[in-house]
Amino acid sequence: MSQETLTKGDPEIEDSVIRVPLVLNNRKYNWVTEKICGIVEGGTPLWWWIAFIPSALLASVSMFTIGYLISTGVGVWGLNHPVGWAWDITNFVFWIGIGHAGTLISAILFLTRQKWRTSINRAAEAMTLFAVMCAGIFPAVHVGRVWMAWYLAPIPNSNAIWPNFRSPLLWDVFAVSTYFTVSVLFWYVGLIPDLATLRDRATNKFRKMAYGIAAMGWRGANRHWHNYEKAYLVLAGISTPLVLSVHTVVSMDFATSVIPGWHTTIFPPYFVAGAIFGGFAMVLTLMLPARALYGLHDVITPKHIDNMAKIILLTGTIVGYAYTMEFFIAWYSGNFFEQYAFFNRATGVYWWAYLAMMSCNVLSPQLFWFKACRHNVYVVFAVCMFVNAGMWFERFVIIVTSLHRDFLPSSWGYFSPTWVDIWTFLSTFGIFLSLFLLFVRFLPMIAISEVKGVLPESDPHSPLHHSETGHQDHGKEAH
Amino acid sequence: MKRVFQHPEGPVTGKKYWRSLEEYSDSAEFKQWLDREFPDNASEFTDGQSRRSFLKLMGASMALAGIGSLAGCRRPEAYVVPLVKTPEWMVPGRALLYASAMPRRRGAQPLIVTTFDGRPVKIEGNNLYPQSNGGSSTFAQASILDLYDPDRSKTLIVEGVAKSNSEIKTILESLRNQLVASQGKDVLVLLDEANSPTQARLVRELQKQFPQINIAVYEPMMLAEQLNNAPKAIPRFEKADVILSLDCDFLNFDEGGLQSIKSFTDKRRVKNPGDPMNRLYVVENRYTNTGAVADHRLRLAASQVINFAATLAQKLGVAVPAVNGKPVPLLDLAANSFLNRWLTGLAKDLQANSGKAMIVAGAHQPALVHQIVAAINASVTAAPQAAVASAFTGLNIVQAAELIRSGKISTLIIAGGNPVYNAPNDLDWTNLQKKVASIGKVYRLGFHNDESSEKGLANIQLPMSHFLETWGDTLSEDGTLLSIQPMILPLFGGISTTQLLGALAGFAITDGPELVSETFKQVAGGDITSAWKKFVHDGFYSGARIAAPVAAGNVATVTPVPVQIDTVPLSPQSLELVIMADYKVDDGRYSNNGWMQELPDPITKNTWGNAALISQKTANDLNLKSVLEKGIYQSDVILIKANGKSLEAPILIVPGHADNSISLSVGYGRVASDAHGLRIASNLGANAYALRSSTNPYITTGVTVEKTGKRFDLAITQEHGSMEGRALVREGTVEDFVAVPDFAKHQGMDAHIPENISIHKNPYFENGQHSSIRPPVHQWGMAIDLNTCIGCNTCTIACQSENNIPIVGKEQVQNGREMHWLRIDRYFSSKRDASKIPLGSNLDEVIELDDTEMIFQPMACVHCENAPCETVCPVNATVHSEEGLNVMAYNRCIGTRYCANNCPYKVRRFNFFDYNKRPLDSLYLGPLADRPREDIEMMKLRSNPNVTVRMRGVMEKCTYCVQRIETAKIDQKVKAAASDNIKVPDQTITTACQQACPADAIVFGDISDPNSRVSEWKASGRDYSVLSYLNTKPRTSYLARLRNPNLMKEGAGFIMPDIDDVGKMSGGVGHHGGDHSAAHGHAPEGEHAHPTTPAVQPAGHRTPVQGGGNH
Repeated sequence: MSQETLTKGDPEIEDSVIRVPLVLNNRKYNWVTEKICGIVEGGTPLWWWIAFIPSALLASVSMFTIGYLISTGVGVWGLNHPVGWAWDITNFVFWIGIGHAGTLISAILFLTRQKWRTSINRAAEAMTLFAVMCAGIFPAVHVGRVWMAWYLAPIPNSNAIWPNFRSPLLWDVFAVSTYFTVSVLFWYVGLIPDLATLRDRATNKFRKMAYGIAAMGWRGANRHWHNYEKAYLVLAGISTPLVLSVHTVVSMDFATSVIPGWHTTIFPPYFVAGAIFGGFAMVLTLMLPARALYGLHDVITPKHIDNMAKIILLTGTIVGYAYTMEFFIAWYSGNFFEQYAFFNRATGVYWWAYLAMMSCNVLSPQLFWFKACRHNVYVVFAVCMFVNAGMWFERFVIIVTSLHRDFLPSSWGYFSPTWVDIWTFLSTFGIFLSLFLLFVRFLPMIAISEVKGVLPESDPHSPLHHSETGHQDHGKEAH
Repeated sequence: MKRVFQHPEGPVTGKKYWRSLEEYSDSAEFKQWLDREFPDNASEFTDGQSRRSFLKLMGASMALAGIGSLAGCRRPEAYVVPLVKTPEWMVPGRALLYASAMPRRRGAQPLIVTTFDGRPVKIEGNNLYPQSNGGSSTFAQASILDLYDPDRSKTLIVEGVAKSNSEIKTILESLRNQLVASQGKDVLVLLDEANSPTQARLVRELQKQFPQINIAVYEPMMLAEQLNNAPKAIPRFEKADVILSLDCDFLNFDEGGLQSIKSFTDKRRVKNPGDPMNRLYVVENRYTNTGAVADHRLRLAASQVINFAATLAQKLGVAVPAVNGKPVPLLDLAANSFLNRWLTGLAKDLQANSGKAMIVAGAHQPALVHQIVAAINASVTAAPQAAVASAFTGLNIVQAAELIRSGKISTLIIAGGNPVYNAPNDLDWTNLQKKVASIGKVYRLGFHNDESSEKGLANIQLPMSHFLETWGDTLSEDGTLLSIQPMILPLFGGISTTQLLGALAGFAITDGPELVSETFKQVAGGDITSAWKKFVHDGFYSGARIAAPVAAGNVATVTPVPVQIDTVPLSPQSLELVIMADYKVDDGRYSNNGWMQELPDPITKNTWGNAALISQKTANDLNLKSVLEKGIYQSDVILIKANGKSLEAPILIVPGHADNSISLSVGYGRVASDAHGLRIASNLGANAYALRSSTNPYITTGVTVEKTGKRFDLAITQEHGSMEGRALVREGTVEDFVAVPDFAKHQGMDAHIPENISIHKNPYFENGQHSSIRPPVHQWGMAIDLNTCIGCNTCTIACQSENNIPIVGKEQVQNGREMHWLRIDRYFSSKRDASKIPLGSNLDEVIELDDTEMIFQPMACVHCENAPCETVCPVNATVHSEEGLNVMAYNRCIGTRYCANNCPYKVRRFNFFDYNKRPLDSLYLGPLADRPREDIEMMKLRSNPNVTVRMRGVMEKCTYCVQRIETAKIDQKVKAAASDNIKVPDQTITTACQQACPADAIVFGDISDPNSRVSEWKASGRDYSVLSYLNTKPRTSYLARLRNPNLMKEGAGFIMPDIDDVGKMSGGVGHHGGDHSAAHGHAPEGEHAHPTTPAVQPAGHRTPVQGGGNH
């Protein structure tokens, strides 16, 4: 809206404040359709197989490691008596954090009318779903008696035993399952017009059937668009608080406990910021190669990358502030249990994890103060990889260093992972990547209809607007 | 004793049917097969590879493959047939209690054994017995596991071939015939010290019948006493206010026994400020339970204790006998003011308390030390102690070996002992026994098939019964006659030493008490019908003692074996080696007991093996390290050379250890062989017996050490020995207690914070009052007195036995997954920087800076009213009962482990594996490694039927023995009938730990009853809660430890040089009040802090209170 208002005035001002278009090179509707649908409809590129086969193999390792875990006992992991949670919950929080970017991009940026979201939201949402799936594995299988995990569901059995509604773990169950459900709906609703496009373009019966069923009879009618926009808006409204609540609830797993290093009121905002931080890093980790491999430079422009880098810088700095503030509060509290917990975090046996966390999460994003860095995809990719690793270490530091030395020195211990820990974690990357590769292969990874809506061509007042292509696809404009 | 089913003879007429061709042919093999129940070798283990493979099955909680479903375990035969009418005392599911006793070398322990449906499942102390509190020992608690040990010797073995146990009788008959023929001329019987009057009577009988028979007694850990033939001294701690222990660990279950523990700790139950308390000085080379309790402790090489004793005697003006014409060298006091002041203070204290002071010397100290001590006791301290003669004496092991060597012996009968493993190495016992076995016959009655029953060393191995399986009698430490009665017929058909001696003396072997009752008749006299009943019922005879105590002071009349006074000073190149009994496996007799192997040593917290204990300084001098890496102690392995032999052992650095001194416990280093299947015991630790000679049985000097370059991983349950200034265990001095009666409530965080105002109100119990809503009758709580706790671990084993707690094996202990619900936390403290201990090995330099103190704290679930575990469990598996118990519903638990994470006391235990269902060496194989069904059935026999056996994936923890609470409540309701009197009377319920505690340091009861014992304890000023600032409101509270330093002054200053350090561990009152910022500003030391570097304990916050004028 603001753009229109601005560009309506004096032509001079118009020239000076004109924004870089969201899709470059004056691409037209047809190009967008051809480009995005072409990825799905064309042949499978060789690199896809090269990426998919190892990913799928890695994913299948999880069958073995988790099968071993369930059949033999939690002891196959490296957990012990002071350290009752380690990689399991670290991985859970890591993946669930990654799952924040997609819905943030889809919902919050939608509600705030950030149009640049359109070219990345689809893939980011898919990434969210896959990350939440990976996250969900860990709390499900880390319990001692997986076959009894249904006790977590609020089904009073004959003894009328409800779950314990005071337990943050139960809140987790509700928060994560709600988040996943709403995210799936949101993602799927957004897919419907594009699925219809694919259906219409399908050249064989199988594809026509498959996409046809998935498109749920979408005809692009005005009424469809009307309902669609309403539904999308409502889902965005529902999703927005969920983005904040899920990681808040996850942080309460720790914040409501009494353990020094966990018992911290800063956790909810700090965890949410960290999740967005890690989520955006993962979005870029996936999008930068996809952009290069599929030549999507016109749709995912340097501006998109720049915006995301700025968000990473912001949230990374919030996280850095939280790290520092924890130390300050530990000192300020005068409680030497707290003081020890944080002192030990930085200088104890796990100093290397703390160092990895600090350097990856706080130092590496500082490069994004420089435009040159934000516009150099190699630097951006490298920083994102650091952030991905750093966010895993952050959770490891919080969980393991707090547990391994708490109140009674007599019970202090040490955690080392076993091969089962390591391979279970690695295999979730296999699951994640396999699902994502299947997604880019079979579904439009960029929201075709939404991108069309932000093309200069869609804006009659845009100086780049040329009317020769006509207005066949004006549904998006029907506010 | 196995009942052999006699197949009825076939009918005389008609066709003859046969079951197999073997039967048809009626071969000898078939007959044996019928008789044997199991095929040959079915019960012998053939895998001899790794120790881990020996852990396949867990001690006695499992049975051998092929034992068959319960075949070995039966009720007494009279009741095998299902009862049409049960005897009135047999109620299915109800426990039956019997009195019995466990023989120990220095005096038996009176016990009560709980049996369910004819199988003993729990051992407790006999609370009828006046001298024992009803307490017991780790050994007694764990002996139930030995009963069900599948590695027990089960069958008669003749020349390596297993035979039916029914042949035992024949063999013993022929042995007797041989005795009759030879008049015992060439026969040597080697006995254990069982203190059994019946055995003594039978020995006399044998000597009467066969005048030339040779009887020897050997107890590996009583070797010095046996060589010196000394009567046992019984110190009267109940009469002593000042005690000096010269290397005497009288608070363990060997040297002191239950009676010493009780009478000593009774003098430390300080209820109110100003109440008297005894004072204990300890001089020792290594930390012991006794040293940990000491008010003043001096670390001193064990070989220098004799010099210390002589110096003290000189200070007190007591003449010291010369040795070989030379006087005992005295300590150079002029060169060491610390030692001078210490000795002066001690001497003055002893003099000032004449008649109430006492010196005790360790049994392994040379006789001369005992002589000096006796002299001082007689003249200066007027020590209240008595001596008791041994029940009988025979030849000692050296004389026995001499007899064999001279070729006079052709028949050797070893009853119970394992001399091949534990005889002094200079006797070369193995070859002696081999010699007898080749020219004559060696009969070995043994509980296990072990080193002494190897083929070629023993011709005939007889299975020995457990003390819970046969009749017997024994003497307690003070000579009271105790009865031993069987709870069950011998599981594997063995015989007892008493039965063996009886058979040799011509009495028939029966299951009955004939031999014992005959002895009792001689003791009690007259018609014994009612006296016998009372004797067996109570477990002890309250009449005259068997061995009348020798008058006090008589100990001095013993003629000592001359000792060499070593004048070579100790140095890192010439160390001393102290060989001691192990706190866990004793002299090795419990080394096949999984509970004892996994029990943390009270001092070192080491499990599954031993280690050479040395001081930090000695380790530095010898360039040895014991580092904590990734949660595991990796210790250098050294080669110890002593008495011409050498032995490899891992080191372990222990604070408070004397320099240039090595302590090594016996009982380990047993090697698996084909002949014996000691699966738990084998290949753990180093065999200290290999270094032990009869001339230097306990303390050897001139020992050298070499670094081997190898590393060994120890399994230590407590990695961190410093309290990091956290005021978890609180202590003060007697004077502090007078000055500030509630000093314990204001230490650590509790000194800083205002009282917690909680929004949580316990609806059932608030401020000690019942609420109005629905008042529950009881509110359970516990108090633990740290002033009487001696850290003996008995509670831990009692809890393990009562609550069916599994063992997890060495590997899982290293992983930090041990399951003990009740553990003893042990902390060291040192005011001074341990690194400043000056180099050099001279005695006077060594003592200067070592003032490490040690303190114990039993820790189990404290049953918080405001429990952090309960709020976080998502499935409501851990909830609060109305009576204040934090209860676990195992069936509801899904194992999120959140409760354990959130437990500030870290007392929750998670079943990481199916410890009960899988063999311990195959935990990682999961369902691929199943324990045979029979094994699990065997485990069930041992288990307490009132406690669930937990599966993997569930959390468990202390329940305050809820099964005992519920039983008592039900009983009370039955008793109350229609009345309202359903309140269980105080002290009706004792938790397993409380019941077992020999020091009576634990009390459990109803805290809503102000008159209950637990309420009384909690009302003490010493009462405090651990981590009370968290507002968890624990139901278990602790009574702070007190120390009673010697405050005598000389001029302006105190005489005792360590006075500033005594009792100041957790920030005592009045000593560091002005030092607040220094105390709390310190961030604790970082990583690599382990027991070897005790941290400085910061002081408390309170303003100085010049209690007792210490400053």
